[in-house]
Amino acid sequence: MKAIAKAKLNTLLDAIAKESNLLVPVSGDGTSKFAPYTQGAQLSFDGRTLLPPKDVFFPQTEKMYKFKTNGMNASVETALEAPRLQVLFGIRPCDAKSIHCLDHVFLTKGYVDEFYKAKKDATLIVSIGCNGPAQPTCFCKSMGVNPQEAEGVDVHLYDLGTDYGVVAKTEKGEKLFLDKYASFFTETTAQVPALADFPLEVNVDGITEKLEKMFDHPLWEEVAKKCLGCGACTYLCPTCHCFDISARVAGDQGFRFRCWDSCMFSEYTRMSAGNPRPSKKERVRNRMLHKLQYFKERYGDLLCTGCGRCLSKCPVNMDITKIIKQVREADLA
Amino acid sequence: MITEQMRAIAKDLLEKGEVGTVIGWEKGTFWYNSTPLFISKPEQVDKLVFDEFCANNLAKYLLDFKLAETKTAVFVKGCDARAVNRLLQDNQVSRDKVYLIGIPCPGMKEAPKTAQPQDIAGLPLLTKCKMCATPNPVLFDVMVGDPVPDKKVADRFAAVEALEGKSADEKYAYWGKMFEKCIRCYACRNVCPACNCRECCFDANGLNWLGKQNNLPETQMFSMTRAMHVAGRCIECGECERVCPMGLPIMEINRKVIKDLNELFGPYDAGMNLDDRPPLGTYKLDDPEKFM
Amino acid sequence: MSINTEALPKQPEVTAPAATAIPDVTPKEWIPRIVGFACNWCTYAGADLAGLSRLHYPPTVRLIRVPCSGRTNPQFIIRAFQRGADGVLVAGCHPGDCHYSTGNYFTRRRFLLMQRLLEYMGMDPRRFQARWISGSEGPKFQQVVTQMSEDIKALGPNRKMRDAE
Repeated sequence: MKAIAKAKLNTLLDAIAKESNLLVPVSGDGTSKFAPYTQGAQLSFDGRTLLPPKDVFFPQTEKMYKFKTNGMNASVETALEAPRLQVLFGIRPCDAKSIHCLDHVFLTKGYVDEFYKAKKDATLIVSIGCNGPAQPTCFCKSMGVNPQEAEGVDVHLYDLGTDYGVVAKTEKGEKLFLDKYASFFTETTAQVPALADFPLEVNVDGITEKLEKMFDHPLWEEVAKKCLGCGACTYLCPTCHCFDISARVAGDQGFRFRCWDSCMFSEYTRMSAGNPRPSKKERVRNRMLHKLQYFKERYGDLLCTGCGRCLSKCPVNMDITKIIKQVREADLA
Repeated sequence: MITEQMRAIAKDLLEKGEVGTVIGWEKGTFWYNSTPLFISKPEQVDKLVFDEFCANNLAKYLLDFKLAETKTAVFVKGCDARAVNRLLQDNQVSRDKVYLIGIPCPGMKEAPKTAQPQDIAGLPLLTKCKMCATPNPVLFDVMVGDPVPDKKVADRFAAVEALEGKSADEKYAYWGKMFEKCIRCYACRNVCPACNCRECCFDANGLNWLGKQNNLPETQMFSMTRAMHVAGRCIECGECERVCPMGLPIMEINRKVIKDLNELFGPYDAGMNLDDRPPLGTYKLDDPEKFM
Repeated sequence: MSINTEALPKQPEVTAPAATAIPDVTPKEWIPRIVGFACNWCTYAGADLAGLSRLHYPPTVRLIRVPCSGRTNPQFIIRAFQRGADGVLVAGCHPGDCHYSTGNYFTRRRFLLMQRLLEYMGMDPRRFQARWISGSEGPKFQQVVTQMSEDIKALGPNRKMRDAE
C-alpha cells in the first residue's frame, strides 16, 4: 500500500490547500473542530475533534432562500450557493459512520436535500483510522464501527506508527487524491498494528427489539432525573440532525434559514395545543429511542457511532452506554 | 468518612419516612466522574458517595421536586447551600419542604481524562473551587463532618480587572472570539441555580427575544442577557463555566457584574443571607447617578 | 408630579420649519440613528413639549414610548444595537417623580450596571445613555438629544453587535 510519513503530512496539506478548500482538525482555545487549513494552525491528529464534522455538510445555521416584496409583487431567490470543491481531511471512523447516517436522512427515502447534497458531492473525504481509543469515552467498537477502517469515505489512511498507509476507497479518491498527489507517496509493506483495548464497552445486541417494548417503562423516569435538559449532547453529537426552520424579516425583505435544534429543549415539540413531550422524561426517552430504535427501524443503522462526545461533555455525566446497559437489564414485567 | 455518614443519615431519613427523595452523588462512568443521584428507598443508600469529583451543584434539582408531597433531602456543599438560599429567596422552594444535609467542602478536583485512575491528592482544584470563598454550607439542617478552614481566595476579580484595562476594541475582539465559539446548547443556563424562571425568555421563541441563528450578534445577545438576568443573583458557584462544552469564561462576565454591583451599591454576596434583598430588586434614594 | 418651574421654557421662539432649519444635515451625510426609550409620563411629555415649543434638535432620535423607564428591558438595548442603532437613550422621570412611585429607582440601578457591562463587552459607553427628563423639560430634551447626536457623530456609525442583515 502507498504511504506517507506523518512528518511529511504538512507538505501534502500545503499542496492540497493550494488547489482546494481544505478542512482539517484544528485545536485551540479549549476546543477542536474542522476548520480551513492555514499554515501554522495547530492541527489535531491525535483523536476525534470536540466538534463533529457534521457542520461541513449541515451547518448550524444555513440560509435557504431570500424573499422580497415590492408592492404587489414578491420575489424569491434561493440561497443555495454553488458548492466549492473541498477536501475534508482527517475525520475518524466514528465520524465517517455518522456521515453515512446523515446520508440516510438527507439523501434517501424519496427526498434529497439539495443543500446537503451539494456540499456532500463537492467534498472529498479523507479519513484516518484509530489504533485504539483516543479518549476513555470512545466506544465506537461496541457500536459496530471498526476503529481502523472507515466506510463511505473516498480515501482512508491507516495509522502505521510513523507513517500513514493511504488507500483509495472510491474512484474519486483514486483520481483526485492518490493519483493527483502521487509524488508524495511511497510504497510500504507495513501492517496495521493490533487494535488496543477500549475501556468502555457496551453490548447493543437486541437493543432495538427490547426498546420496542419499553416506551412506557418506568426506567425513563429514573434515567432522566439528572438530565439538565441542555443541548450539549445533541449539538456535539455527530449524528443528531434535527433542525428548525425560521425566518428573519426586516421591512419588505428577509430570508428563511434552518438551524440546528435539539430534542432536549422544552420548545422543540411545542405546538399551539401544548407539548407532547412535556418533561425531561419524554425528551430523554425520545433521544434514546431515536438513536437506538426509530433510526434502526427506518434505515437499518443505529444512530450512535460511539464517538463518546456526549459522554465526555455532559454536565451531569449522562452515559448512553449505561442507559443501554440499564435497558438490557430492565424487567419487562 | 463522610460517605458513611451520608449513607447513615440518608438511610435514617428514608426509613423514618421523613423525606421522599434524597439527592446526592454516585460514581459515574469513570473514576473521575461523580454524578447526581436520586434515591427514594433505604436499600439504595449504598450508592451514595462524596469524593473529590462531586462538583455538580445539586440545589437546582429541588425545582423538580417543588410539587412533591414529601420533603426532599439534598446534600449541600458551600456553593449548593448558597444556591438553596437563592431558590428560597425567589420563592421557588419552601424551606419546610427541603431537608439540607451540609457537607463542608475541601474543593473539587480536575481530573485528566484518562481511563487509568491517578493519584487524587496530586490533582489540581477545579477553577470554580479555587475561587470559592464559602466552602462551608451557610444553611443546613444537619452537618456531616467538621467545617473546613476558610480558604484564602486568589483575587477573584483579577481577570475582570485585567480585561477592564484593555481598549474597547481589544475587549470586543476578546469577547467576539469567545462568543463565536458558543454553540447555544444552554448548558450554562440549565445548570444555573439563579436561572429558575418557569419559562426562559430564550425558549419563548415565538416572541423572538432571541433569534435561532447561531451567529455572533445572537450569542452576544444571549450572553449579555443572561449576565443581566443573573445580576445580583449569581452565587458564584461557577457551574456555568464548568459545564460549558466550549470552555467559555462565563464567570468573567458574572464576576464583572458582581464587582460593579459591589462598587455601585455596596458589598453584596448572593445567597449568603436569606434576608438580604438582591441589589437589582431594591434601591436606595441616594444611589449613585453617574451618567443620568 | 412636581414641576421644576425653573426648567420651564421661556416664551418659545417661533422658528422656520425643520427642513430648512438644520442646513448642516444633507442626505449624503451620515446621520446617527438613536433609539430613545421614553417614559410615557415625563420624557414623552417633555419631548412633546419640545415639539410644541418648536425647539430644534437633530432628527436622529426615534422615540419608543414605554409606560415607565423601568419597563425598559436590557434586552431592548441590545436588540436596538443589533438592528442598527448607533446609540440608545433611556429617559424617564426624575427620581421621586415616578408615576409608579419607584420604577425609576430600579431603572437607575439597572442601567448603571448595564452601561458598565456594555463597556466591558467593548462598546463605547457613550453610545448608551440614561437621562431624567421631566414633562416640563422640553429644553432639556432638546439639549440631551443634541448632545448625544454630536457625541455619536464623533464616534461614527456603530459596527459592534450589529446583525449583518
